[in-house]
This record gives sequence, structure tokens and C-alpha cells, in this order.
Amino acid sequence: MRLSVLLAFVLFLTLTLRGDGFTQPAEQPVTGDWLLTHSLSDPEQLNPLTSNDASASEILGYIFESMLQLDPRTLRLKPLLAEARPEISKDKLSYTFKLRRDAHFSDGRPITGDDLLFSIKAIKCPLVDAPFLRVYFDSVVDAQLIDPYTVRFTTKEPYFLNEEQLGGISVMPRHVYDPQNLLKSVGVRDLLGEPAKLPEPVKRFADNFNKNFSRSPVGSGPYSFGFWKTGQEVQLARDPNYWGNGKPGVDQPHIDRLRFRIVNNYDAALIQLKSGDLDMMETLTPVQATRGSNSDRFKRQFARYEYYAPAYTYIGWNNASPIFRDKRVRQAMTYFTNREQMVKAILFGLGTVVESPIYFARPEYDKNLYHYPYDPKKALAVLAEDGWKDTDGDGILDKVIDGKKVPLRFEIKVNSGNDVREAVALTLQDELKKHGIAASVRQVDWTIFLDDVKNHKFDAVILGWQMSVTEGDNYQVWHSSQAANKGSNAISFKNARVDKILEDYRREFDEKKRFEMAKEFQRILNDEQPYTFLFSRKTVSAVARRFHGVEVLPAGLRPLEWWVPRAQQKYGARPTAN
Amino acid sequence: MIPTFIGITLLSFIIVHNAPGDPAELMAGGGLAAAGGAGISLQKRGAVDQALAEWRALYGLDKPLHVQYLIWLKNLARLDLGSSFKDSRSVWEKIRERLPVTMKLEFFSLLLVYAVALPLGVFSATHRNSIGDHVTTLAAFVLFAVPVIWAATMALVFICGGDFLYLFPPGGMTSIDYSLDWPLWERIKDQIWHLFLPVVLLSYAGFAGLSRYMRSSMLEVLRQDYVQVARAKGLAERVVVFKHAVRNSLIPQVTILAELLPGLIGGSVIIETVFSIPGMGQLGYEAFLARDYPVVLALLTITAVLTLIGILLSDILLAAVDPRIAFGRRAE
Repeated sequence: MRLSVLLAFVLFLTLTLRGDGFTQPAEQPVTGDWLLTHSLSDPEQLNPLTSNDASASEILGYIFESMLQLDPRTLRLKPLLAEARPEISKDKLSYTFKLRRDAHFSDGRPITGDDLLFSIKAIKCPLVDAPFLRVYFDSVVDAQLIDPYTVRFTTKEPYFLNEEQLGGISVMPRHVYDPQNLLKSVGVRDLLGEPAKLPEPVKRFADNFNKNFSRSPVGSGPYSFGFWKTGQEVQLARDPNYWGNGKPGVDQPHIDRLRFRIVNNYDAALIQLKSGDLDMMETLTPVQATRGSNSDRFKRQFARYEYYAPAYTYIGWNNASPIFRDKRVRQAMTYFTNREQMVKAILFGLGTVVESPIYFARPEYDKNLYHYPYDPKKALAVLAEDGWKDTDGDGILDKVIDGKKVPLRFEIKVNSGNDVREAVALTLQDELKKHGIAASVRQVDWTIFLDDVKNHKFDAVILGWQMSVTEGDNYQVWHSSQAANKGSNAISFKNARVDKILEDYRREFDEKKRFEMAKEFQRILNDEQPYTFLFSRKTVSAVARRFHGVEVLPAGLRPLEWWVPRAQQKYGARPTAN
Repeated sequence: MIPTFIGITLLSFIIVHNAPGDPAELMAGGGLAAAGGAGISLQKRGAVDQALAEWRALYGLDKPLHVQYLIWLKNLARLDLGSSFKDSRSVWEKIRERLPVTMKLEFFSLLLVYAVALPLGVFSATHRNSIGDHVTTLAAFVLFAVPVIWAATMALVFICGGDFLYLFPPGGMTSIDYSLDWPLWERIKDQIWHLFLPVVLLSYAGFAGLSRYMRSSMLEVLRQDYVQVARAKGLAERVVVFKHAVRNSLIPQVTILAELLPGLIGGSVIIETVFSIPGMGQLGYEAFLARDYPVVLALLTITAVLTLIGILLSDILLAAVDPRIAFGRRAE
């Protein structure tokens, strides 16, 4: 008897617990409220083709959609405006996308193959002010409309990232961006020739497109463009007629307005956050994250989120210079660099030491790489093995290279205004001085710095690379061909085996095999130390606590999933109480 | 004036275009460097070089420098300042967008400077070497010495709603929920609330200079015979000072005003940055960092024109208020 009562009680408990979602309707996401988020600068322009900056691509991401999108949790491609992933031909050269038929732009007009075809034509048109985006679509040689909802792209050569790149084209409404249909007469093939020989209508289109469509974007996304007050704010409004409303697998945003408030200095932004003029700062500076956001009041009002962004800072050694030509010198430099201490002292602990150019959260990252410890004795031993010693007693190590006596003296270049990089350089300089190595630190204005780096005018530089959370292609930075012509291999790293791996990598469509190749590539770099890889920095964000559903995803925070319980909503028309 | 103007623009053009740093590479840097290693289908660097060349051709940077200058001058004659590298918008449009904000700020701060400094100068002169004179003079010079970036940051941290007082807004020109539906008075009040701190911060350093000018010119006037006569007539000191002395000692101040003309559109990078105000200072500063030649040249040209006009204006004003000065007629 007692047992059965107990059982009944337990059963009752389980039932109520499971029914929680139903008994507390307040936990259901509701629409409403605004999100005031911090933007460090104005977007340059709001046009998915001609925009070239991070600020713009974040905002445009809410307005424009593409055929495929990345699943924010698995980072796998999944269809959005397309019915499914594209059909890829056997020779891996052509990609056929079928568009879904129930999607429409924010003005109600349906999205068709015509719009997709227009978008690729606009990208490929050499007169459109999008040369840097065009580089990514260099291999597209043709695009054909198969039926009103099907488009086939043809590429020059097989490339494992083609699907992601083609699937990522922002689909723009042709009737808005080319109202007179001036591009109708030409195909993608016609656009590949001499710009001067293009027909008159194409020239007119490009001129109009460059001049008149940079500030009022129209797309098909869940948010539509509201207004942009230069230097103050960009405002987006949730589109109540969004085609994806109620559709499974499509984001269902809840926040009525996204307001990107432009505050071009972090100190002012933090004050605005505290005074309630901002709801969110995606990036707090290390000082702000450790000292400026610890008060009880702050913690009551804001939740903090810490996560890594796919980027790293490094010291690049000019592999072509006589000093750094031998990998032993480069290895020694890494041994001299107290990276753990730098993370602790310079980044206030908000970072982690890395050993490879591949983002450490990626599956192709090699977890078994040798970790270079801070070990000056080992460093000196490695240098001695390479023949460096102080022969003339001037306190600086030297060695005879190519028949000339060369002292171990070099310059570390950093761009002025970057406190972290400057601190790294000075710390290393200090360490090296103790061991008979004369390093000097020079700060250079960013524009000049870029020139110097591209023209190989440096001994050592401190720089960073940003990567994507998805799989990357290391060809641009590490292939020997990229060392010439101001390429991104500015340190002139040249290794025949790495070249071969990177070439094969681009044509390999089997992910497992690619990952194996990536690991070999990392092992070679680990031994060669062309860079001294320093650290990845942690991003610390603050978000007002009234927002629910906030979660750190592989690509960071995602306001598309957030909502505010009705009682806590701060802005906008609220339904009158009873 | 015309040759001076040509000289100024030619020099500016040469310097701006030869400053180290390549705008094309900078533009590319944004897109390509950010994507570096993230898998762009860069078959060869040739594609990038072609992109750079395409971009330069779009903005006419592939032509020889003297041709570019002549084109620029020709466009200028039609009042066309070209379009910005950064967003391909017309430079006029960009300036027009920011000018009202800057002019509003500069106008009010000029007003404040004059409203405070002139009476201060008069007071110092009439109470020469008194304790009041010393105290106000010292105060004006202390303010003059306080760096504006420090004062602005302190104001922001302590009285703009951070961890301390919330007396003034921490930035922007209007409140977050400001709308045109508000009653007129509410809207004006909101704007004044937002303008107050920036205007005060823009002004305080100007008190010292102007009040010293005013003081010395006032002292000079007070020594004049006619002031003695006025006093001898038995006029009240108040009337002597305000009716007879102040007017005449204002003459040099008028000429300073004319020279302030270019300052009206200059803007302040510091105040604009601390208080998130979209003004001319930021426009110029960012344009220079980005090597946005058309914007930089436009601002230099406008400043040059306003300076020339200001000098002309001050000469004319001076002649108007001071009959001793006449142009070219002295020999007759």
C-alpha cells in the first residue's frame, strides 16, 4: 500500500516535471523588444557585392540569404533558398542548384533562378565595384538557367570549397538592382572578356549599380533594412511577412528591431552599455573584461560570455633573410618566446597558446603537435648547433653566412596603435637581450606596414590571421607561389612537400583524406617554425540579462535565436495589459 | 587669390597622392586579408593583381599624376568633388551629412566662448591686478592647460551613467527612443541635453585666449583720452565702460571671428570620438587613415577656400569698423 502511494507520488512528480513546458507559458519564446548592439564603425556600404568589411557583412547577413547556409551548431552546409544541396557532376566541374518555390523577397516578389543568375552576373561583371569578391569566383566560367527555378554553374577546375562558395552567393532581387534588366542580353561567358568591349547596357548597369545601391539593401532575409544614419546607427526591422515564418529548418527570429549603434571607441561603448544605451557589446577589451565589468550591478544587469574566435596572432620570420633561413634559428626564437606568460600578462589570461595555423576547435587540427616550451637554455643549444656564437666578444652572437660574418641582430615590426603586438615585441626583445641577441622594435603606421609586409621589407613581423570556423584552404598563405607578387606568403616560406599537399588538397573531395593531409601539413610547419605561433584570443561579450536563449555557438553569439519575456521587454509597442 | 588657391590645391594633391600607403591594397586588405587562410579560390596572385588594377581603373588612379590633377581640377570647376574610395558615395553627400552636426556644435561653442570670455576680459581689465583678476585669469589658464581628451573621458566616466552619476547622456545626438512624434519642446530638450557636454568641452580651452585679448585691448582703450573725458564729464563708470570702452575694444575681436570661419567646419576628432558624434573631424581623420584621396582633398580644398574667404572678410570688416584703414587709396 505504502509503496503504491509512493509510486503514485513519484509518477505524479515525473509527470509534473515533464509537463513543465506547458505549465509555464512564460518560457515560450515571444516576439517583441529591440536589441541595441555595439558596432565599432559604420559599414562602408550596404551592398552584398561591393561591401568589403566585417561590419557590413554582419548586418547584411540578416537581410540577404543564399542557397545554402551553415548550420550554426554542426557547421555543415544545409539548404536555405535551395531545395537541397546542389547536384555535382562526376567531373566535379558543374553544380546544379534547385531553388525552393515558396521563398520571396521582402517586397513579396518570388525568388527565382532569374535572380540567382543576375546575382552571379553582377559579381562577374568586371565593371561592378567588387573586384575583391570577384577573386573568390574566379573559377566560375558559366552559369545557365535550366528552368525558372534551376541554375547550373560551370567552374574551371575541381575545388573542394566550390560548393560552399557558390552556395554562399547572396541572392539579390533582379527587379530592384537591375530594374531595366540591362544584364539580360549578356551571359556569364560574355562578361569574361575585355571590360572596354562590353555592350553599352552593361556599362550603364554597372555605373548605376555602383552609385545608387550602396545604402538601401533589399533582400529576402528575416530582417529588412530600416535606416542608416551615418556615424550613429543602422536599424533593421523584423519582416512580419518573412517567407520562412513557420517553416521548419528556417530561423524564426523574435526580436522586433536590431539597432547597430555606432560607437567608435570601446571606453565610451562600455559606459553606454552601463547606462542602458546599449544592450550588448560583442567584444570587451581585456581590461574591460577583467576589471571594468566586475561590479555587482554590472553582473546583475549583464551576462558575460567567453569564447574563442577563429583567429591567431603570430611572429612571422622572414624565411628569405640570411638569419632566419635555417629552421634552427626559428625554432630557437620560439623557445625564447614565453607565450604562456604573454597570455597571462598581456591578455590578462584571455587567450590560449596555439601551435598551428588551423583553428584548434576544427577536427583537422592535429592535437599531437610538439608544444614548444619556454626554454632559453634549449634555445641557446639549438643556436649553438647551428653555429652561432659570440666570436668577437661584442656580446652579440654571430655566424659566418655566405662567407660573411653576420651578427644576430634584427628588427621586429609591428603596426602602431596595437598595444598587444607592441607588448609581445617588447617582451621578446627584453628576453633576447639577455642571451646576446639584439632585436629592435619598430612601430609603423598601418598603411605603410601593409606595404612593407607585402614587399618583404622586414626581418620579423607580428601579425594576425583571421580564419573561418569552417574548413579552410591554406594555399593562399603557405604555398610557395604565393611568396611572389605581393602574395599572402609574405615570409617566403618554401617547402616542396607542403606545396604538393596544398595542391592536392584543393582537388580532394574526400574529407577524411583531406584531414590526413592537413595533419601532415601541420607537422611540417610544427618542425619548420616559419612562424612562431603565439595565441588565439578569447572574446568576452556582455549581453543584457533580459535576453533569453543566448548561447555560445561555434561561430559565436547568434541574436537570431534570442527573445525577451513579455514582462521584461524594454522597447517598442507593448500590448496593453488587459 | 586664384594663384594662391591653385598653389594650395596642387601642393595638397601632390602630398596626398605621394603619402606612403596604397589605397587599392588597403581596400583589398579588408577583404582578402580577413579571409586569409579561410579558403579563397585564389588560383594565383595574378587574380588579385587584376583585381587591384580593376579597382584603380574604376577610380582613375591608373593615369599619370598630372593628368589626374587636371581631371580633378576640371571636376572641381563644376563643383564635383568626386566620390569616396570607401563607399563610392559623392564627397559632397558625405560632407553634407556631417556638416550640420559639426556646425551646430562649433556654433554653440563659439557662442559660449564669446559669452564667457568677453565679460571675463572686461572684468579683468576693469579690476586690473585685483584678486578677482588674478583668480579668473588663473582659472582660465588652468582650463586652457587641461587636455580635452582627459576632461572628456573623466566627464564620460563620472557623470554619464557609468558606475557613478548619470547627469548627461554618454553619447549620440538624441535619445534611443527619440522620435518625431515627441512634442517639440521634448525634442529640443533632448537635443540640448545631448549637446551640453560636448559644447562645454569644446569651449573651455578657448576662454583663456580670448579673455586675454579682450583684457589687453580693453586696457588700451581705457587709457585713451576720450575715456578720461567721459569720466571727467561725470558719467557713471558703468556707462563709461560699457558704452564707450567696450565697443571700441571689440574691434580686434571681430577680426579674430572672421579667421575662425574654417574652424566652424573642422570638427574635433577627440570630442566626436568620445561622445560618438558623427562630425567632420572623424570624416577627415578616417579618410586620411584610409588614404581616401577624394575626401581628403575635398576637405583640404574647402578649408583653404574658407581660410581665404576668412582673411578677405576680416580685411573688409577691419576697414569697415576702423576708418583708418583703407584699401589702395592711401596715395590719393
